[in-house]
Amino acid sequence: MARNKYDVDETLDSEFNVAHLKRLLLYIRPHRKDMLLTIIIMLISSALGMTTPIILKMIMDDFLPNDSNNNTGNIPGLLIAIGVMLVINLIIVVILRVKITVTAKLGQNIIHEIRSDIFGHIQKLPFSYFDERPHGKIQVRVVNYVNSLSDLLSNGIVNTITDLFSLFFIIGFMLSLNVRLTLVCLAGIPLLGLLIFVIKKKQRVAWQISSNKSSNLNAYIAESINGIRVTQSFVRERENIRIFNTLSSNYSVAWMRAVKLNFLLWPAIDNISTWTMCAIYVLGVQWISGNAEGITIGVVIAIISYIGRFWAPINTLASFYNSLLTAMSYLERIFETIDEPVNVKDMEGAVEMPPIRGEVEFKDVVFSYDGTVNVLNHVSFKVAQGDTYAIVGPTGAGKSTIINLISRFYNLTEGELLIDGIDINTVTIHSLRKQMGVMLQDSFIFSGTIMENIRYGNMTASDEEVIAAAKAVCAHSFIMNLENGYQTEVNERGSRLSAGQRQLISFARALLADPRILILDEATSSIDTETEILLQQGLARLLQNRTSFIIAHRLSTIKNADCIMYVDGGKIQEKGNHDELMELRGRYYELYMSQYDFLDKKKQG
Amino acid sequence: MTAMQWFFSFLKKYRFRIIIALFFVTISCLLAIVNPYISGIIVDDVIRNGQYDLLWKLVVVFISTTLLRALSRYTYLYILEDSSQKMLYSMRDNVFRCIMAKDFNFYNKNRTGDLMSRQIGDMDAIRHFVAFVIYSIYENSLLLIIALVMMFTVDWRLAICMIAVLPITVVIAAKQLKAIKPSFKRIRDTFSSLNTFVQENVSGYRVVRAFAKEDYETEKFNKVNDEFRRVQLESTKDWRRYIPIFEFMASFLTVILYLVGGLMVIKNAMSLGQLVQLSGYLWMLNQPLRMAGWLANDYQRFVTSVEKIYSTVSVEPDIKEPLYPVNTERMYGDICFHHVNYNLDDDVILKDININIKRGETIGIIGATGSGKSTLMNLLCRFYDVSDGEITIDGVDVRKYDLFRLRDNIGMAMQDVFLFSDTIEGNIAYGKPDCTFEEVKHAAKMADADGFINAMPEGYDTIVGERGMGLSGGQKQRISLARALLKNPAIVILDDTTSAVDMETETHIQESLSSFTKWSSTREEGRHTVFIIAHRISSIKDADQILVLDNGCLIEHGTHDDLIAMNGYYATVFNHQYGEFDEIDKIRQKGGRANG
Repeated sequence: MARNKYDVDETLDSEFNVAHLKRLLLYIRPHRKDMLLTIIIMLISSALGMTTPIILKMIMDDFLPNDSNNNTGNIPGLLIAIGVMLVINLIIVVILRVKITVTAKLGQNIIHEIRSDIFGHIQKLPFSYFDERPHGKIQVRVVNYVNSLSDLLSNGIVNTITDLFSLFFIIGFMLSLNVRLTLVCLAGIPLLGLLIFVIKKKQRVAWQISSNKSSNLNAYIAESINGIRVTQSFVRERENIRIFNTLSSNYSVAWMRAVKLNFLLWPAIDNISTWTMCAIYVLGVQWISGNAEGITIGVVIAIISYIGRFWAPINTLASFYNSLLTAMSYLERIFETIDEPVNVKDMEGAVEMPPIRGEVEFKDVVFSYDGTVNVLNHVSFKVAQGDTYAIVGPTGAGKSTIINLISRFYNLTEGELLIDGIDINTVTIHSLRKQMGVMLQDSFIFSGTIMENIRYGNMTASDEEVIAAAKAVCAHSFIMNLENGYQTEVNERGSRLSAGQRQLISFARALLADPRILILDEATSSIDTETEILLQQGLARLLQNRTSFIIAHRLSTIKNADCIMYVDGGKIQEKGNHDELMELRGRYYELYMSQYDFLDKKKQG
Repeated sequence: MTAMQWFFSFLKKYRFRIIIALFFVTISCLLAIVNPYISGIIVDDVIRNGQYDLLWKLVVVFISTTLLRALSRYTYLYILEDSSQKMLYSMRDNVFRCIMAKDFNFYNKNRTGDLMSRQIGDMDAIRHFVAFVIYSIYENSLLLIIALVMMFTVDWRLAICMIAVLPITVVIAAKQLKAIKPSFKRIRDTFSSLNTFVQENVSGYRVVRAFAKEDYETEKFNKVNDEFRRVQLESTKDWRRYIPIFEFMASFLTVILYLVGGLMVIKNAMSLGQLVQLSGYLWMLNQPLRMAGWLANDYQRFVTSVEKIYSTVSVEPDIKEPLYPVNTERMYGDICFHHVNYNLDDDVILKDININIKRGETIGIIGATGSGKSTLMNLLCRFYDVSDGEITIDGVDVRKYDLFRLRDNIGMAMQDVFLFSDTIEGNIAYGKPDCTFEEVKHAAKMADADGFINAMPEGYDTIVGERGMGLSGGQKQRISLARALLKNPAIVILDDTTSAVDMETETHIQESLSSFTKWSSTREEGRHTVFIIAHRISSIKDADQILVLDNGCLIEHGTHDDLIAMNGYYATVFNHQYGEFDEIDKIRQKGGRANG
């Protein structure tokens, strides 16, 4: 049963840690060549960028008339210098173009891979994962969270590394000028570190809350759209808008709280850099007047002119840090999903299920969804190849559970389930399910044409085969009555199809899969009796030699089954064919007769 | 209204705040120009010329201007972010309201993932615009203008040379805006597809698993994922042609300044000091030029998203509120279908339906799959409007009622049960969120759901999964039934509500339904008119009127006995379901089952 709903924040099982970062680097690894290339050309570009002030100084000092050189100007020199500058700028521009191309590719490739991984993993997750939380919350991780990483993973990392290099370069250069003054300048760094240390925890929490709130909002939007028919028919719009606005406002508040902290960093750096500059002015002046060793007017001026270049990369690093903290709240969710344990998976050395003949045996099967309450209690039965087994019993008796186990949607708690004498745990899930046709209670229609929806059962089926399947389930005539026939576009809410028609389409889908074992769980509940009779006639032929399981409440549907099991309380209470069970005068008999009770009432009344 | 006008109608409310923020941008911008001067003075006057007594004063000024700048920057960032959040809040509210008010036809045509993209991804582009792009454009224009004014005061000839670059920039920016637009639109479209694909995959997970189609889904997803990467990179290709041009133009300014300025100095048309002064303004020209390309990108992204959202919001619903709605609080439930026709596109769904229903009657509807049973009910609720003819409740055309009032008088348990990921209590109370727990329990009892709900570990507080995952079909139907009954509406529609419950449960439900009608008949609001759509004869046999629909036509109409006597469709269905009644009597006589 579900644990989470739209207004409940998800708790995080594992905190973000260095291991997560390392994992992130694993995604970058395959692209390290591109990354290296970008960093190298960016370093070249920034080295070239540093030549501009030198050239400009040269122009001012040597080619233009001034007090110190007393010349009248050097026009050819000026032109050459300008020409060199132009060329350098052109190179820088070309490098920028390359950088844009490579980093864009890098970022897109990485998020492409992360998204593939998270999606691929979701395909392996058990039913319970989807039953437990609103689907909008799963979706937001695959789509929006991953998207928000793209810039960080491309530009962010490249710029950070490039800036780190230029930072070290500048520090080295400043050290070579004067150690003492450089140390004064570096004294600002611990201050910055202190600030970061103080707000870091708050920032982390703030961004976690914010991502939670956006996830809640997303979940609510998804549900509101999917459930719109119910909402409108219950005139719940106002209440829903109120809930939506609460969630929307929670998100805004959380966002502001997080962003407010992020905003602190830039002004802090600006101020700290000013303080260090002032410290250098003050100390520089004192040291100059005190004739301190190695400190001259020129040295102080030079150091000051480099301070700007020292703090600029720190600024970019800080903004990277900010986006990293933001991204962490998304990353940890993404990794959490990728790490979600897969309970139902192929055991080691699992083999392909050979073509199924259709003998199914439950041997003392015990099953519990949550490990405390047993839904099935020591169920044993054996179905011969080609037989039709019907399962009846009150709601919640465990009927659906029994058939879900055959497809191995869940693992058994105890006991064994054999198909053709092979324990289904020892074969690959894919090869097992591929041979089963399951028609579930909820008929889900994908957006696309009717043709595509039926073909979902067997991708290689030709149009003729699809149509043949539709004919077999009596869906052909209504499909042909639609404006575009099989090419009619439908969507998940089954636009313009009635529930019965949707059941017929998913029935055709199940049939097209040409399954060895057919499982029908309330497959025909919304189909009218007339169609159902036609359907059964059509199916009788198709079901020959196929083992099938049927759950139905309309007893006329199951009367002709080879065997009927009455299930209640997780146990098989009665078993036999219709006549035998009627003879028995037990629960099935009562159930069967209850259909006619109302006729009696009429008679008596 | 255009998309942009729509956007500005939201922004308008925050224009004063934005102006205040821009005032702080101006301060911060001016201080950014002042600060280098102060440090210039310190270097020149204090350090070079040894006027040490000035040092402390200048340092204090320097520190305080920086502090002031930091404060004003923090202020405007905060104001803008705050305004953008507040604006977004009302925008989200508006979009959500609009989406909630759309009719079924809209939902038939729009995919969930697309609609979600409007509310999440597109909103973020707008947030970015209000919180960042607006002030960036202002700040950079301001810098540009200040720089140009300063340059004019120093030397107008040189300033004109620099200005000459601007028209070129404007032309390029305009070209860029035009060139990137289609690819940005494609990004948004592909994003929607990605969203839709994931959404359907997650919602349809049971089908995916059942057909072992994980590999196929992954393969298909990879295509969408590839496509998303492709359009992103394609769009990069579009704009990466422009960004370097701006970068080059920015550095080209330096070249012009030193080339023309240098020549002028050599020709004695300008002093070296003036050139140095001018070069101090260069960064104010460089930065705006560098930013121009990026801002053009951001702007276009924003425009694309606004257009996307607006195109969703601005769809006119087919179902319109009447101009002067009839506002009946409690209807009686006399219903009349008068020559009702309904066509969808070119298909005839319902043809000339005529029915008269008196308050308190129970109407059974039976018919083949797709014969129009649910549509008939949807017309009554005005989820669709009749193409021809009219439906009246208490003598008033349903199209004349206030839409909310109309639907509030109808309680519907839909064929396609949709439960929300909420507690069972929340789901049952869906139509009446402020009701008491007793009411919920009472409704659940009537729907024969109280028993199984109590058997759950957390009872009514159990959270059900989206679409009621984790519950059996019969359980879902009973919750949905309870939800409809709780509203205690004048008209109750049960659309195939008991198809997945067993016979015994159905009998219980029918008993409580009949007591339900009796229970409220003692109240002043009158009796309930009940529609029951079903395939089982047992569900509708006792109805006051039974309608048999076939292919959109009302082919049989009467009571059970009438229809049996008619020996048509209904009688055939009856025989199929209960043909062995004689046999049952035999069985019963044979055995000694205590009955009556």
